[in-house]
Amino acid sequence: MRTRGGILVANVIAGLALGYSVANIGFGDYAELNRMFTFQDLRMLLAFAGAVAIIVVVFAVLRVRRTPGRIHAGVIPGAILFGSGWAISGGCPAIPIVQVASGYLPALVTIAGIVVGIRLCRWANTRYFHLDSGSCQR
Amino acid sequence: MTEYWPWWAGAAGLALTTINYAVTTDRSFGVSGAWDRVLHWRAERRVERLNARFADERVLTAAIAAATADQFGAGSAAPAAHPTPHGDARAPRQDGPPPAAPSLSLASLLPAPLISQVALLLSIFVGGWVAAVTAGRFQLRLDMGDAFGQIVTDKPIAMIGALFIGGVLVGFGTRLAGGCSSGHGLNGCGRLQPVSIVATAIFFGTGVLVSFLLWKVI
Repeated sequence: MRTRGGILVANVIAGLALGYSVANIGFGDYAELNRMFTFQDLRMLLAFAGAVAIIVVVFAVLRVRRTPGRIHAGVIPGAILFGSGWAISGGCPAIPIVQVASGYLPALVTIAGIVVGIRLCRWANTRYFHLDSGSCQR
Repeated sequence: MTEYWPWWAGAAGLALTTINYAVTTDRSFGVSGAWDRVLHWRAERRVERLNARFADERVLTAAIAAATADQFGAGSAAPAAHPTPHGDARAPRQDGPPPAAPSLSLASLLPAPLISQVALLLSIFVGGWVAAVTAGRFQLRLDMGDAFGQIVTDKPIAMIGALFIGGVLVGFGTRLAGGCSSGHGLNGCGRLQPVSIVATAIFFGTGVLVSFLLWKVI
């Protein structure tokens, strides 16, 4: 699955599985998200932490290689902005897609905001910040 | 309407998605990165065309080896095996288990094809739609639910503003931090990357702080 076609198929499978899982866990539901962030209900927090724990163990057993990445000057302010935006809008970059797919039409506005934010960041980074483009995505 | 999954089913679903992708492609996936590349598709297409010139890994490797040989001499172009007293070349002896040195192929260092990033975003929509319909949760609506109305705002114009500003913060923040909850949170933390652990701790911590402020103060 490491050819161009294989990566395309893998992305389709990952997208379907991610969308299906995120919707069924309840990440698209603002009430559930707020209960997670305010520790009123630990179900979604445990789902996320449990997933990370499983991945850590399996990656260690399979010796999955690490990708390059360092803590550059944008990581902490970027994470603060992201966390604030997630708590306000109820969406990380995948969740508004799931919200629209579930019938929440105002989530299209969140998507519009994400589009503006991403384009603004690349423009600002090229012009002012000159930071690493990222550590996770390839 | 079906209830949401219990935590262990959610953990298994997210873990299987991430592990399957990493094992089959030798890559990480990140939704904010996919958005970034799709939104800047013209520049990404230019990069893809440049990469295509070096698509044949063997040609590139040979070119690098030839250039290295020209610069430093023929002996440096390829890794030399340690000669043994008997004169035959063998792999260097190692005591204990061999170190983890997964192979790095050129293909795995190149960005995923742009079309696959479009497919990722569209597939998330389809997966979410299938989940909503099969669980009986699909309902076209012009609000974000009762909780959003109570905690953030129930006024339509203010709701649009809050969603847009929140979206801008998410888009700007994820790209500035180099990843989101899938890239840093699942793939990066799963690899125990320090940058991802720091980013995830901070965006979750900020999410907690802002949610408490919205819930209790504002």
